[in-house]
Amino acid sequence: MSKPVQLFCWHFMAYPYLPADFDEQYDSGWITVPNTLWDREKSRGLLNEYIDQLAYADTLGFDGMVLNEHHQNIYGLMPSPNIIASALTQKTKNGKIIVLANLLPLHGNPLRVAEEYAMLDNMSDGRIIAGLAPGGGQETFNYNTPAAIQREQFWEAVDLIHQAWTRDGPFAFEGKHYPLRYVNPWPQPVQRPYPPVWIPGSQSRETMRQVARRGYCYFLSSRLHGGAIAKAREEFAKVLEDAGSKYDPFRMGILMSVYVSETDEQARVESHEGIWYFLKNCLKGHLRNFHGRSLTFGPGVPNMELADYRRVLENTKPGRAMLGDVDDWDALQKAQSILVGSPETVYRQISDLVRETQVGNLLIQFHLGNMRDDLARKSMRLFATQVAPRLRDDSRIAFAGHFPELAGTA
Amino acid sequence: MDAKKRDIDVRGRKVALIEAGAGAPLVYLHGFADVHGVAGDLLPFHQGLTQGHRLIAPAHPGCNGSDEFHQGNRIEDFLFHYCEAFDALGLDRFALAGHCAGGWIAAEYAVRHPERVTRLVLIGASGLFVPGEYIGDIFIHSQPDHGTSLASLRRMLFAADDAPQALRYYPDGRGDLDDEMRRYGMLRFGSAIGFKPPYFYNRSLVDRLYRATMPSLVVWGSDDRMVPVAHGKAYAERLGNGSTLRLVAGAGHAVHLEQPDAVLAQVNPFLGA
Repeated sequence: MSKPVQLFCWHFMAYPYLPADFDEQYDSGWITVPNTLWDREKSRGLLNEYIDQLAYADTLGFDGMVLNEHHQNIYGLMPSPNIIASALTQKTKNGKIIVLANLLPLHGNPLRVAEEYAMLDNMSDGRIIAGLAPGGGQETFNYNTPAAIQREQFWEAVDLIHQAWTRDGPFAFEGKHYPLRYVNPWPQPVQRPYPPVWIPGSQSRETMRQVARRGYCYFLSSRLHGGAIAKAREEFAKVLEDAGSKYDPFRMGILMSVYVSETDEQARVESHEGIWYFLKNCLKGHLRNFHGRSLTFGPGVPNMELADYRRVLENTKPGRAMLGDVDDWDALQKAQSILVGSPETVYRQISDLVRETQVGNLLIQFHLGNMRDDLARKSMRLFATQVAPRLRDDSRIAFAGHFPELAGTA
Repeated sequence: MDAKKRDIDVRGRKVALIEAGAGAPLVYLHGFADVHGVAGDLLPFHQGLTQGHRLIAPAHPGCNGSDEFHQGNRIEDFLFHYCEAFDALGLDRFALAGHCAGGWIAAEYAVRHPERVTRLVLIGASGLFVPGEYIGDIFIHSQPDHGTSLASLRRMLFAADDAPQALRYYPDGRGDLDDEMRRYGMLRFGSAIGFKPPYFYNRSLVDRLYRATMPSLVVWGSDDRMVPVAHGKAYAERLGNGSTLRLVAGAGHAVHLEQPDAVLAQVNPFLGA
């Protein structure tokens, strides 16, 4: 028996009070979406409602809670995820707290990130999973972090944080971007040798190589269907082998969204408003191509090397449909990124996905867009009680079969 | 007119350049809607500069075949790159012209080494901080609207977004692959020098312009929506020996592509061609 598939509850913390005609009236949910739309009265208590949903996930037995960092947008109201993580250290007992991620080039000095994660690791008694990321296109505009040097800055910052947790201080860090004469952070993390580090990537070979070389976990941030995930996993497995390591399901994580209700029909009815709010409003400016301006990736965010960009141009067509461009349930189902249905339906879909991809960390978004608190909780509860146990049982056996070295890790 | 392309080695970095004409040297530093910034070869405006001059047009690092300069992440680094490039070319005293970000670099060079610049020409040059007169965000407008439309980018760079040259170099959807790569290279270079602070300026430059005492000419499109005309006025007022701003009516930021003859009618007499 192997350690089973790890099921994490991800909350994006969307702004839920946009006007009904938002999509017609506004170009984007990101960066330029006017914050005069923020309703101070309705929004009182909103962040606490979201934090409580994550605390509920912990009582339901999820393996952890996931947070992310986004700025100046309606998709995610967590410009500083560490503040939410801090609340979770006090409100939860068991699950991991995954911050995916702190966006390093946005910090004046990444030493601060090493310090804050160390604090959180102490406050949670070793439950922190430390996500580190360079930030996407939006962040270059939000914080004026130059895209051309974003990745170089990022990997130097990763080295600084890693050393801050593992080298005896004080020591000097001779960085190009973050030179420090004295690195000697107090407190140190609880977890030894250092908290697990997860790094998101969207299929870039270079990111995979860096993650493999450093022994971190690779989080595939693109919303892909099973076949494409399996292909990315094969690539990552190969990169790991080249680095003298070996793939196992817990070296990688993927993102999906789920809504579970008693029946397929009921699941669609209950989740309809939240899902379409998420697709048409939250993804406008991000994963939506045919309306508005996607800022996530492209020539205006020139963070890729010239040769890599040429490869992208040679292998893609302009203006391809993205998740936010789907217009009906059938197209949504084909995209395989938002799974909606009865416990049986959702179980089958995820079970197939795990079998096909052999990925062991599933980061699952339950609250979508403006979904009501009671519906999000119901979906989480049905998943935890009727879907998760079966997925765990299946994967204990399947992973042990495919990865003999995991046998006995259950 | 015979234009020659060649690569030179600048302390281990390859710099692609185009040379044409004969006579006193004239260095031209390109912008976005320009040779190297999107076009692979000299355009009619640049060809017109060869009257009486040996035109030398290097491509910025990462652009049109020049190596990227990975050590550089500040305008200062790239200025030194050009000090080294001019040394490698054996240039002592020369006329210097530039458009957009190329004009910025030309102005920065001129205030540092006024003894080497015989004449200075700035066309729609960025580089200055002028309160309330923002230089356009070329990065956000390089992201296609509705998946494929670059209309707003064309509108920023040209007087009209349906001008033939605008559509030739910035078409909707996917353009010519080499054009796309040149555009990308220029955006990457621009991101390294001109993204922080936003966008394409050095707050200190305006107070240093007095050092550029060589004769200078400032040319601007009257409808420039990338670098507002106020920046042209500021250059003209603050350059060492004073200067005159020449506006080209009905032209946008890419004034030299849109109305090459009108710009050449100002530039060539000034250069003594």
